[in-house]
Amino acid sequence: MPAPRRLAVLRCLDWSAVVAAKNSTTPCAVIHAQRVISRTPAAMRYGVQVGMRRRHAQALCPDIEIVAHQPSRDRTAFDAVVRVVNELVPLIEVSEPGLIVFAARGPSRYMGGDGPMALKIVEALKTSVADSHLTASLVGLAVGVGVADSRLAAQIASHASAMASSSANLFVPYVVEPDKTNEWLAPQSVRVLSEFANINRETISLLERLGLNTLRDVCTLSESVLAGRFGELGVELHRLSRGDEQYPLAVVPHPPEHLCIEKFDEPVSDQQIIINSVQRMAVAFTEYYSVHGSVCVRIVISFESEAGKRSERLWYRPQGLTTSAIIENAKWQLEAWLASDISGDPESHALENYGLVRVQLIADEVRTDTAQQLRLWGGSTQTDETATQAIGRLSELLGSSAVQVAKWQGGRDILDSYELVSATHAQTIGSANSHEQIPAQKWRGALPNPAPSVVYSEPVQVQINDQFGKLLSVSARHELSASPVSVIIGATHYKVNSWAGPWPVEERWWDLARSRRLVRLQLVCEKITVDSVSQILAMLVILEHGEWTVAAIYS
Amino acid sequence: MQLDTKQRVTELSIKELLATQQLNTKPQVVERLAVADDVRELLPDSGLVRGRIVRCSGDAGLSLALSLCSLATQQGSWLGVVGVDHLGLLAAVEHGVALERTVLVHPPKTSREWSITVAAAIEGLDLLIVAVPERLSVNDARRVQTRLQSRRAVMIIVENTVLSQSRSMHGSNESQQFLADVVLDTKTKSWSGVDRGAGYLQHRDVRIRVSGRRVARERNYLVTRSC
Repeated sequence: MPAPRRLAVLRCLDWSAVVAAKNSTTPCAVIHAQRVISRTPAAMRYGVQVGMRRRHAQALCPDIEIVAHQPSRDRTAFDAVVRVVNELVPLIEVSEPGLIVFAARGPSRYMGGDGPMALKIVEALKTSVADSHLTASLVGLAVGVGVADSRLAAQIASHASAMASSSANLFVPYVVEPDKTNEWLAPQSVRVLSEFANINRETISLLERLGLNTLRDVCTLSESVLAGRFGELGVELHRLSRGDEQYPLAVVPHPPEHLCIEKFDEPVSDQQIIINSVQRMAVAFTEYYSVHGSVCVRIVISFESEAGKRSERLWYRPQGLTTSAIIENAKWQLEAWLASDISGDPESHALENYGLVRVQLIADEVRTDTAQQLRLWGGSTQTDETATQAIGRLSELLGSSAVQVAKWQGGRDILDSYELVSATHAQTIGSANSHEQIPAQKWRGALPNPAPSVVYSEPVQVQINDQFGKLLSVSARHELSASPVSVIIGATHYKVNSWAGPWPVEERWWDLARSRRLVRLQLVCEKITVDSVSQILAMLVILEHGEWTVAAIYS
Repeated sequence: MQLDTKQRVTELSIKELLATQQLNTKPQVVERLAVADDVRELLPDSGLVRGRIVRCSGDAGLSLALSLCSLATQQGSWLGVVGVDHLGLLAAVEHGVALERTVLVHPPKTSREWSITVAAAIEGLDLLIVAVPERLSVNDARRVQTRLQSRRAVMIIVENTVLSQSRSMHGSNESQQFLADVVLDTKTKSWSGVDRGAGYLQHRDVRIRVSGRRVARERNYLVTRSC
């Protein structure tokens, strides 16, 4: 068995909120899909938590600064940190803004141990903040470094270290002794799996309901039992909790190393041309590994300028790097490199004066492509791929909120049964999307088929009268005060031909804030137009809080 | 003598086979999107021919458009719903539309932006249900139509139901920037299932008038639809 590798994780707590905040003392929250995804320490003091609804956060802290999620902003700001760390550690992996992972063995040996190494890196970061290389809002940034034998343990350790440094304002690296990772992980709660290893929340809650509260509990079960209950996921859980990597490194022998290199005879300084050639290479690269039934999870992208300057960076994605991910990473790296050159001394402008002569993609870690490895949208046909591209283009044109896909959520209200989520957000949800679509059985109390094809998200006010022109009402026993005779919407009058109902709904009567009490009615109306052509309209009207509204039309 | 004719027959059939094969290999995509049985007879080519525009107007237009799309989406085509304001997703599911291959797009209602959006959607989606904004210029519409024909997609035009407006629903027929190949004009005759407080909406009788450029003779149908 090869020697376990030591991994160090540097974590900047709540990076995107800290970057977005004007200065270190303002409470600020980053919102995505109406939920808080990150908040500053100042906001945390008010009790704002990740995962909270926007309105809830605003209620807790009225002065809170709400910022939209903007991955590119986080990335460009993080480049400053990456540059500082890169000066001390040659090969680092930036998996997401706010998180740097690198192999700890070399740097630790050079700097005299894991602890001193972490201190030195953070020291360098602090001085560069003091030199105002970074923006003012980063003064209060909580940085943590964790070193351990597995990625999960290092992540947890770095989080603990960051939390400690944010509360005590003193940096303490968290080092898990070599070969002690297993024991150290054992008492951790299983919730860390959802926080740091992308295991979904429902699985974790199921584990807890099964009485498996700590990683030790999971570990003591035999792997085959977990595999029998959870399938592939169970093996993964077991591997994680005993301190191994989430995915086995290689089950089949590696495909022969693939040389993916492009040399330019004429130095290229146009960024677009470079990206285009990266795209070509990335397609060939992923194609090569997928033909061999494997997928690349760690890649080194390397650029070399004519002047001999080089930019090398490691990229990791546990699910495997797709073509688009490689291109995105390359773009990020290239932009950061350019920015660093411009801010650096003028003689070393890599692209301005010299241009790029070499691009190389090197697979660093390859693993077997498992059956779970579904493509985006779960499909693989040509039409699916072109459609995905078109959706990406549409989101680019109109903004992600204007391009939506439907997601089944269930409910008795016609508006509730499907939730619209933005298409780009659904991409991160991934292929699970298509499996959830199958609508479950009708909810009890839902309207019978057919469903109306026009549903108003904001109900239209309407007046429903009885034969004497009095407003129709419903008694406490859900009885209509009289037969509906006429309907007035805006300036249009309709004659009621027939109706069905009323059907009452009383939802969540135990919860004052969320309770609903309403009555629904189906109406078939007739409108006499100017040229005496009658027009028949079937609609669904709702009485709530003493007001009639049109909820839907059977168009 | 008998053998001779037999031989000729086989030769002919081979020729025919070759001819059809050539026809089949020439266009890269399937020329027609399948539609469900209950609406097939309404369409002149018993299917949605790629590159064409179908207009579903009248008070049952949207539900008719949805049922036209159902079988194609189930067979793997993607549907984009562009600019339709209040689509009932539950109704779409009931008509058989595969929602996992459906995208809802809400472009601004200005002529330029709307046409750019639709053009981008045509690039990758087979089927579109669109509501045309009133201010769409004829030039932009023509550009969209050309794109549609070259990308071999199908566009179904519906109307947004605006309730509080006093104008009748049929009145919007004046603003026809697009020349539809097939026009399905619907009109609800009666609803059944409700009876002064009892029952619930179940079926309706709809008169559908089929006309348009590609329809030789205007036809009228009276169909009972479940919604």
